[in-house]
Amino acid sequence: MNQNAIRDVVEVRNVSHFFDNPESGSIPVLSKLSLRIRQQEFVSIVGPSGAGKSTLFNIISGLLTPSEGSVLVHGQDIRQSTGHVGYMMQKDLLFPWRTVIENVGLGLEIKGAAKSKRKELGRDYLRRYGLESFADAYPSTLSGGMRQRVAFIRTLVTNPDIILLDEPFSALDYQTRLVLEEEILSVLREQGKTVVLVTHDIGEAIAMSDRVVVMSKRPGTVKQIYDVGLAALHGSALRARADHRYNDFFEAIWKDLDIQIGREA
Amino acid sequence: MDHSSGEALHVGLETAAPTVKKRTFAPRVTLAVQTYAWRLVIALAILTSWETAVRLKWVNSFLLGSPSGIWEAFLRMLLSGQLLNDIGATLTATLVGFAAGSLLGSLLGLGLWYSPLLARVIDPLVIALNGVPKIALAPMIIIWFGSGMFSKMALASIATFVVALLSAYQGATQVDRSLVNLMRSFGAKKYQVFWKVVVPSSIPWVISAFRLNIGFALVAVVGGEFISSDRGLGHMIFVAGNLFNLNTVWVGVILLMIAAMLLYTVVGYLESKLLSWSKSDAGPRTSVGA
Repeated sequence: MNQNAIRDVVEVRNVSHFFDNPESGSIPVLSKLSLRIRQQEFVSIVGPSGAGKSTLFNIISGLLTPSEGSVLVHGQDIRQSTGHVGYMMQKDLLFPWRTVIENVGLGLEIKGAAKSKRKELGRDYLRRYGLESFADAYPSTLSGGMRQRVAFIRTLVTNPDIILLDEPFSALDYQTRLVLEEEILSVLREQGKTVVLVTHDIGEAIAMSDRVVVMSKRPGTVKQIYDVGLAALHGSALRARADHRYNDFFEAIWKDLDIQIGREA
Repeated sequence: MDHSSGEALHVGLETAAPTVKKRTFAPRVTLAVQTYAWRLVIALAILTSWETAVRLKWVNSFLLGSPSGIWEAFLRMLLSGQLLNDIGATLTATLVGFAAGSLLGSLLGLGLWYSPLLARVIDPLVIALNGVPKIALAPMIIIWFGSGMFSKMALASIATFVVALLSAYQGATQVDRSLVNLMRSFGAKKYQVFWKVVVPSSIPWVISAFRLNIGFALVAVVGGEFISSDRGLGHMIFVAGNLFNLNTVWVGVILLMIAAMLLYTVVGYLESKLLSWSKSDAGPRTSVGA
């Protein structure tokens, strides 16, 4: 028990959250949600739209203080603080007025790293991902997949041990998406990161994760957790999709979600 | 007019960019040459028919002036030194008033991002000040600061200040929330969010206020000169108008147009410097259009 507590790098304890609405009172978004993420684990969260997935991420990253409950990162209550996780959002959010290398260095800049160190680290990472020749280009000249790669590098370069990915592939076409899934998965595994991925894509969740968490409809809470582990077994998201259990998981999770949708309609 | 000067600027930028020269250069210049040629033809046609109409007494030159009369008036005043004196007074007052008002207004407008409460408190005052025709303040300003150049600078500052403030504040409040959240997720402090996100993303708003302010500054200065002054283009136009000297009035009007165009060019240059990142975005698109 004690050992477990140490190995949980993120612990969401009984978190509830309400958004205040002057007309209809407060709207509950999350309801007594508890979740533990273990060291170096890849966990995906799927759930119906409006289940509060992004709200949960905003709470874990410290952008939002939950109405009730608490979040522990490495055993410490993160209330009122930010910067303890790497957070990659749905949109690439590259600053259009900054070049690629300046965008990549943003997190380091905020944390006070010297310009020479930012350049050096930035170039190093860009080289590794084959984007070196775009270092001085502006984001507007890059394709969607390249922009999302730059956003990923921007997250990695500050070297966070926990990374939150909020639907980072949703705006990309299918092929780019598969390539990026594979790429990001292998990088994160290699570097021993703990990852939480929010996605609408059940297939993506199964292909990439050790565990898949299914959330209920609003107010969101944990409905079901699946131990998948196909990506770890095959060492690849693409090959995980070919595993015969992939479809079983897909059906089970689809069912979990389908009931919600059915009730909503 | 504004658009065409932007076009000319694009041409200048393109010729400076070495990589895509071959493909975009040739059609661009042709278009630019065509544009200038047409402008020249139209201007010459208007001037010729105006002069002809006056010489054949189809129209009354006393009420309309004439191109040759305007040119004579221009030379006479230029040689006497009075014209340069007037131009200098108006340009100086406009430039100083414009710069002071626009810069202070932009800074304060951006700064209000720090305090939404203060922004709310002063909101009605700013709206009211924005609505008042600034020239209505001229009698007061002239009583306080005299009929010299300083009162014109003050008028132009006031006229441009409010516009710059409103525009900059609007830019600051329309900053993309998710960019701010991204900054915060990295642990950014408020001042870092301000300098790294709010200021750069508001630059287009600030620039557009600058562009509007050229006109407002000129209106304020010339209006002030109408009301009380001893020199300046506004003074010149006002005096000549009272004497029914239409040719001299025309000289003033044309010089004011030229002054406005020069100022637009300056702001355009500023824009190309500050927004070079969005130019690199717009560049390929315009070349496709051309």
